[in-house]
Amino acid sequence: MSAAGGAVQAQPEPLDESETRRRPYGLLLVAAPVLLVGWLVIWPIVSAVIRTLWQPADDGGYEFTLETYVFFFSDRYSLDNLTVTLWTTGMCALFLLVICLPISLYLRFSVGRLPAYVQSLAIFPMFVPSIILAYAFIRVLGPNGMVDILLNAVGLPKIRTPYLTPWGPVIGLVWDNIPLTVLILLSGLGNVSNQAIEAARDVGARWLQVLWYIILPRIGNSILVALSFSVLGIFSSFTLPYVLGPAAPEMMGPFMQRTFRDVNDPQMAITQAVITFGFCIVFGLFYVRSVARNRGK
Amino acid sequence: MAETLTIPRGRIDFPGIGFAIVLSAVIIFPLIVVGTWAFTEVWRYPNVVPQQFGLRFWNQTLSRADVWSALTLSLQLSTVVTLLSAAICLPAAYAFARMTFPGRNVLFFSFLAGHAFPKFGLLVAIAAIFLQLNLIGTFWGVVLIQLVGTLLFMIWIPVAAFQSVDRRMEEAARDVGASPLRVFWSITLPQAGPTIAAAVLLSFVGTFYETEGAWLIGAPGIRTMPVLMITFINNQMVIQYGAVLSVLLWVPSFIALLFARRIIGGGAFARGFGG
Amino acid sequence: MARLDIANVTKLFGATRAVDDFSITVTDGELVCLLGPSGSGKSTLLRMIGGFEKPTYGSMTIDGEEVIHLPPEKRPTGMVFQSHALWSHMNVFKNIAFGLKLRRLPKAEITQRVEAVLDLVGLKGFGERLTHQLSGGQQQRVALARSLVLEPKILLLDEPFASLDQHLRERLREEVRDIQQRLKITTLFVTHAQDEALSVADRIVVLRDGRTEQIAKPAEVYRTPATPFVAGFIGQMNLISGVVSEGEFGHSAFNVPVAVADGPATLAVRPEALTLKPASGVGMGHVHRVTDYGTHAMIDVELPDGERLKSMMPTADEWSSMQQVDLVPGAFALYRDNAAIYRADVGTPPRKAPSRTRGTVNA
Repeated sequence: MSAAGGAVQAQPEPLDESETRRRPYGLLLVAAPVLLVGWLVIWPIVSAVIRTLWQPADDGGYEFTLETYVFFFSDRYSLDNLTVTLWTTGMCALFLLVICLPISLYLRFSVGRLPAYVQSLAIFPMFVPSIILAYAFIRVLGPNGMVDILLNAVGLPKIRTPYLTPWGPVIGLVWDNIPLTVLILLSGLGNVSNQAIEAARDVGARWLQVLWYIILPRIGNSILVALSFSVLGIFSSFTLPYVLGPAAPEMMGPFMQRTFRDVNDPQMAITQAVITFGFCIVFGLFYVRSVARNRGK
Repeated sequence: MAETLTIPRGRIDFPGIGFAIVLSAVIIFPLIVVGTWAFTEVWRYPNVVPQQFGLRFWNQTLSRADVWSALTLSLQLSTVVTLLSAAICLPAAYAFARMTFPGRNVLFFSFLAGHAFPKFGLLVAIAAIFLQLNLIGTFWGVVLIQLVGTLLFMIWIPVAAFQSVDRRMEEAARDVGASPLRVFWSITLPQAGPTIAAAVLLSFVGTFYETEGAWLIGAPGIRTMPVLMITFINNQMVIQYGAVLSVLLWVPSFIALLFARRIIGGGAFARGFGG
Repeated sequence: MARLDIANVTKLFGATRAVDDFSITVTDGELVCLLGPSGSGKSTLLRMIGGFEKPTYGSMTIDGEEVIHLPPEKRPTGMVFQSHALWSHMNVFKNIAFGLKLRRLPKAEITQRVEAVLDLVGLKGFGERLTHQLSGGQQQRVALARSLVLEPKILLLDEPFASLDQHLRERLREEVRDIQQRLKITTLFVTHAQDEALSVADRIVVLRDGRTEQIAKPAEVYRTPATPFVAGFIGQMNLISGVVSEGEFGHSAFNVPVAVADGPATLAVRPEALTLKPASGVGMGHVHRVTDYGTHAMIDVELPDGERLKSMMPTADEWSSMQQVDLVPGAFALYRDNAAIYRADVGTPPRKAPSRTRGTVNA
């Protein structure tokens, strides 16, 4: 302790300043993208809500009003559009689950070249721009498309083409969303250990029981994330419904676009936007929570 | 261990064959049809194969002025957006990965906000603001809206890349006499480089194909390649125009496919989406 | 060739004292091992010398020059990391040459110096290899070469062999010792393995909770550990708590005469200094287990109060489980208040403690 005598007398100033003083250079570096998000994501949403609820009154001031919302929910045409959007979203979610879950399960429990091929096929649509997909759809399933040609060649009647019917966007959107759904489900299935399944098999569980009692409970969260992500994308999708869907009723995406550009009624368009936010808020919050929790690990 | 769960050797992998056939038919077949149309001069219903192959429509498509102006415009837009995005996002990504500052986590997750709302609804809300700023139908209006779309990718992927660089490698470089800037240039950047390059490429290709923002904000003044495609399809012009453009447009996407495989294979991609 | 002076260095992480008032002088060409369990502050200390952490208080000089405010790149130190930290985007040659290039040496000289150091670490001709094409041992040699090529005044080794297997570790530490002796480079070597410290060090610093327990030559640390912690950490040691009263260390099983003041104390005796003999009558304890190592045998003896002591005997033959035995300590030490208060080189036969439950038999 004698050597320490010098240090004991009145604590000297610490040499290490970073403990006491932290310069927020980091804030400076992240400022630009953060401000951009604030200006072009947060602010438009807030402003959209405000602008539709407080509208210019006759006396020149602003007053609280639900006028545009009341109009939307009493307008037959708007309600039809909303219904077809909900129907399309539901159908897509259902089909995505039915198609992607078996693919993911197969990929998780197989090794070799065939599964590798299946996986690259399942991911492939991610690299096909939706506009090319739309074009391909028309050439294959459209009137006198490739399917009609082949059916005709073997002497069968033509199909009733889904082009320009509500089924058009459903097929296109499912095709477009397969890759991410498969990837998210696969990532979830990665958390199911082989040992957990072997232990279940060991105590006598059959494959269906393993699926129901062991696998599904573990990937429940991933399924919900995959569905949330698809729903957020599909609910307000634009390109595929615009090109492949019927003119009326139309999905919210094309509807908003038409209201904004062709009808030139921005006020009504943002009302429709706020309504889509409302319908998706649960999925959005769930999605953000899951991603944040995932990154936090 | 895995063997007991997988299909034993020698047994035929029926589910695999089934998936492979169905997915090939559903995913590859339509694209082959498009490819065939691009090189077809005459194909009348109900022939199974085209009556006449040829490159006539390539000449016709490529001699259209609107195709060239759309292509140049799309390339300009993608380049400007990607460069801007890299310029503001990469330093931010480095800060998120390596520095501590107040509000770091909240700000980091704020980039998710753009993905927590239905995209087109958000675009309409932005368009309403651009309307007041007279940005509708302008080049920079489209740049801004597409820039916002690249933020999440261009921050989250590079952050993961920077974080995966071993700190000891950087310290070892300091130890042999490199200044912090030199360490970043000679060690950190090359280590994180491939992943960052993939993110930049993804953002370029993503911007190139971005349709909705360009359509809503850009029209009628700004006509990008995908927007032109939509008009071709809607106006039911010569079928081959769409096919030729599809094949042309497919090229950047194919390059992206080759490069991005390493990111997507790593599963990091799916985790980024919350999987 | 350099001298390192560390005076009263303290490092605080928040409220925890990672290093607490540490001082040492390392002389020219000396190899000093910093030895301690994980969390003892040894790595923090090394990182402070390298410049990667800044001490909260204290001073550090190399050849009399204060270095505490210098960043790592300005310090004449070279560090070898546990994870080797080779730059995987450069080949072996470029890894080693990077530091020389920063110093703007002519190309020919860089090549010549890199070749020389590769030869020194036994990797002649490996320059074009990529780092992942090397084995763990080779990677660590490259890391060593990368530091040595810059001829640092002080070489810092942070558990360099921790991730290697036992056999390779022993070979590499001998090589490092040889190189260090040949270059006469002042070296600090952090390790948590006592055998590593005992075999390569000129001096050992034993650290615990950021504080120095002992600084001494390896033999001294082993033979005369300054504190019970050092005694227990280096080699095997029996530590027995008891009380000194009227010149005798007393424990429930046996008493030993010691010339120290009365009070509680801990007796430390190495297994090889604790001999057994068959008990005459009821012994001080009984054999719990006999482990035969071939070269010697380790006998675990259980005392009546349940405490177990280890005794090292030449053979296992004479001993069997449950056999009653008496203990004869040879050299031992007595500790009180974390310091040695008594050392006995030759054992005095212990007296068996008077037992209240059984009849007393004097040995």
